[in-house]
Formats: sequence, C-alpha cells, structure tokens
Amino acid sequence: MALIPYRGRRMPATTLSSLRDEMNDLFNRFWSTASEPFGLAEWSPALDVSETDDAVLVHAEIPGIDPKELDISVVGDTLTVRGEKTDETEQSGRNYHRVERRYGSFTRSLALPAAVDADHVTATAKQGVLEIRLPKKEEAKAKRIEVKGS
Amino acid sequence: MTHPIDVDVERGRDALEPPQSYFVPATDVYETDEALTLLAEMPGVKPDGLEVTVEDNVLVIRGQPEAAAGDDGNVLLKEFEVGAFYRAFQLPADYDTEKIEASVKQGVLTLRLPKSDRLKPRRIEVKGE
Repeated sequence: MALIPYRGRRMPATTLSSLRDEMNDLFNRFWSTASEPFGLAEWSPALDVSETDDAVLVHAEIPGIDPKELDISVVGDTLTVRGEKTDETEQSGRNYHRVERRYGSFTRSLALPAAVDADHVTATAKQGVLEIRLPKKEEAKAKRIEVKGS
Repeated sequence: MTHPIDVDVERGRDALEPPQSYFVPATDVYETDEALTLLAEMPGVKPDGLEVTVEDNVLVIRGQPEAAAGDDGNVLLKEFEVGAFYRAFQLPADYDTEKIEASVKQGVLTLRLPKSDRLKPRRIEVKGE
C-alpha cells in the first residue's frame, strides 16, 4: 500500500501567505475527500516512521484510544495497526456545541523498509502516543565494513 | 453566548498570550444539566506539561509534549510534528471558573466547568387551586 502524505495539524494563519496556504490546503482537502462517498471518509492516525541501524520505529498519535482497543500485526514485511476510538458523542444527556475530534475505527498498513523479527516487536502507548519498535532481522542490520589499507 | 468560542489573545497579556508557534488541539465541547465539558486532544503531553489558566472568563490551555527521547535514526515518513499546544476560549459568563476540574488521560485533556446554581435546570412546581 502506498503511503499517503498527511498534512498534519495546521497552525493558525498569522500572515497573508500562510492564509493562502491554509486556503489551498482547505481546497485540496475538500477535493481529496470528495472522491469518496460523503460520510465514508475514513479516519486514521498520523504516523511517523524512522529507521535506525537495528530497528524500525513507528510512532502514531492516538489520543483518547484505549491501548486495549488496538490490534497490531506484522505479516511478512507489512505492519498493520487497527483500532477504534469509541464515539462518545451519542451519549444521552450531552448537548454538543462542538465536535472536532474524529471517532470510529481505522486500519493503517505500512510496508516496512527492512525485514523485521516479528517475534520481538514491542508496542507501548503513553499519553496518547503509540510507539512500535520492530527490531530488524540480523541479515537486515547495517554493518560497518572496515576498509583495509594496503 | 451559551458556549465557548475561540478568541485571539492580544500580546502583552503574559499569562494568556500564545507561544510563537503552536498546534491547535482538536476540541469537543458538550453541556449537561450540571456542567460544561471540554475534551482537547493533546497527544504526548503529561500532566506536568499542562497549564490551564482562566482570567476574565478567558480560558487558556497549554501543553508541552515530552521531547522524543534519543536518536530516532533516518526519518522515512513524517505525518506529525511534536510541538506546543495552545488554545484560548472566551467562556460564557455562567460557569463557576473557581471550580474547574482538569484531568488528562491518554493524551486527552478533560476540563469540567460546573454551572453556577442559577443556570441549573429547576423544576417549578405548579400549584393547583
């Protein structure tokens, strides 16, 4: 699956040029979601992925998601994260003035950049940030090759 | 005004003014018979990185997430940045700002503002003849 760039949270426009960016962004987002049937646009958490010599690190922003509601799996070289953010907005007795948070279930798959040892993947969630550490298989680890002089 | 609205805080009000750059936390606001509740998403922020200030019915929330520990190596995909959160709301007058309760769980700040007594729904007994 191709990775889809995410524009991230925007800071408020403070100058004219950033206002223009904001408008362009709004326009782009409108058209990018308009291709899907209205109301079915999926929500998925923003990811950061990085690679060190011996591991692949994935961070995801999952504020308000109970770690127990997460399902993380590695099949071959694909990492899949599934989860659900329970929609509380339907609870009775609550009169909502503003709903900006996104709710519902999501699935996100990612092609990993290196072969990983699926048996030793660890995942921790702290303050709504998920960290998945995927140790590389021995053969995928970077090795320093000594260059011998003559 | 019956619900909080976003407000710009002018420079010079030290306790309230925004940092140079910041993210605006996505916030839900709902009202019950007893209170007004705000839920603001601030992933990565611990309780001691949070600051909630009320002055003249202007509510300011700030959060500083913990800096990522150590070397993360080569970045392959970056969909979010880590930085300060900030948002300012003008509150309706009828809430008891002395009694705001704040808590944070799984990166979501919950603020509960109890309604002042005169705003709570009251059942008026209708007397017969």
